[in-house]
Amino acid sequence: MKHTILLIAVLCCAAGCSSMGVQPWDRDILAKAEMQLTTDELEAATDDHIYFSKEASSGGRGFGGGGCGCN
Amino acid sequence: MGLAAAAAAATEESALSQKENAAISAALAAATCSLLGTTIPASVDAQETADWDFNTSILYYGEDNDRVKDYSVKAIARRMFVDDRSLSLGMTVDVLTGATPNGAIRQDVPQTFTRPSGNGFYTVAAGELPLDDTFKDTRVALTANWQQPVGETSLVNVGGSVSKEYDYLHLGVNAKIARDFNQRNTTVSAGFAYSMDDLDPVGGAPAPLTPMLDVGDTSNRTGDKDKDVLDLVVGVTQVISRKLVAQVNYSYSYSDGYLTDPYKVLSLVDGTTGDTLLRSGAIPVEGGPSHQYLFESRPDDRSKHSLYTQGKYYMNGKVLDISYRYMTDDWEIDSHTLDLRYRWPLAGDHYIEPHVRYYTQTEAEFYLLSLDESQPLPEYASADYRLGDFDATTLGLKYGWKTRNDHDMSVRLEWYQQSGDVPGGQIIGNQAGRDNYPDLDAIIAQFSYRF
Repeated sequence: MKHTILLIAVLCCAAGCSSMGVQPWDRDILAKAEMQLTTDELEAATDDHIYFSKEASSGGRGFGGGGCGCN
Repeated sequence: MGLAAAAAAATEESALSQKENAAISAALAAATCSLLGTTIPASVDAQETADWDFNTSILYYGEDNDRVKDYSVKAIARRMFVDDRSLSLGMTVDVLTGATPNGAIRQDVPQTFTRPSGNGFYTVAAGELPLDDTFKDTRVALTANWQQPVGETSLVNVGGSVSKEYDYLHLGVNAKIARDFNQRNTTVSAGFAYSMDDLDPVGGAPAPLTPMLDVGDTSNRTGDKDKDVLDLVVGVTQVISRKLVAQVNYSYSYSDGYLTDPYKVLSLVDGTTGDTLLRSGAIPVEGGPSHQYLFESRPDDRSKHSLYTQGKYYMNGKVLDISYRYMTDDWEIDSHTLDLRYRWPLAGDHYIEPHVRYYTQTEAEFYLLSLDESQPLPEYASADYRLGDFDATTLGLKYGWKTRNDHDMSVRLEWYQQSGDVPGGQIIGNQAGRDNYPDLDAIIAQFSYRF
């Protein structure tokens, strides 16, 4: 059931995507540094690593923070 | 004036106007260049020779009660080439000290534990949370990534990573491809990462669920271990309006190999009182555990699924950044993470950014506060607080500004707090009156400089 809802949500999104968006000349705001999904790569990597070593979850945004025998 | 003379004059006039045009163009170019603060040959140069950008930071992470402290230096250097190709090189050095919970429960009497190396012992006072203070390590991590466009609409990124600690070696490769559709309003991406990690625990990895032995007795140690981790990510990024962009990612992670923490134990307790059983027989003069502790045991594989979604919304200069992640795995851990950042511009290219993060997870199916002596031993058991049922909150504030030469600087201070519960059914006898879950308070301070 959970998977069906997810699939429907993804399909609706995919169908709706073609009508969303802006023209190339309307990208002034989206092009700003503060509007990028990851504004500070180093800070994001720091947080991923801290939370990877203190919690049982990791990743999501990308590949998450591993590569340590954290205690 | 004859026709010929008129034609010659016209030619002269047109030659003059061409000369004038050329002079105006040159003057305009010079003016533009001086506005940009450069000269024509230099700007041509800039396109041909690459530029380096550096993103650097120093970080302090400190837990209360003399637990883990991490002093860290990080840097990413990026070299841009023509045609949007780029090379990124990253480096992190962590210096770690402090104590970490060893998994045993509090007792009303002092407790003695053999150190992980098997070469000594440490004592924990009555009523105190057992912490192993042997923890000291230096970690060096290096990454390298190459990114380049493929065709008009795709971007490929391939990379590798290596990190080394005293008892741990990580080697990894990763690759990602992203393709734009719909006038670059939709980006679909897919990627994988594979890591091969070697563990060389101090004193050798103990056999699961065997007792902590006397100082010098390494008969239950089994040597080095390894694990492999495969991560897959697929995602869609969508521009929704001029002020709103959103992303949805699904990721799958499969770990295979030694997933146990070789330094963590569980207390073996009396089925009625809940108190940890004393050692039978005398403790040797040269030291050994005062009570009975068994090394933990985890399954040798784990599959995780997560769904991550993020939205960024621009509101008259302010930017709201919201993300949510749901994770579920076959160790029966479910987690929810909600992250909120609000970037507020101040005068003169300064900004302030409050940050709130809330995290909650359920316990792993084999999480146990202690092992009940009156019950048969389970196949898997761990008292690691990170596999328990807990909530965590982060509150932070970041302040950033541009320097006179247009470099970015920022400082942030965050407070991270974990608070957990042991499932009621696991509490036996006297354990009911004790503080069983090792709550955590930590400070994160980071200074970043980009140039």
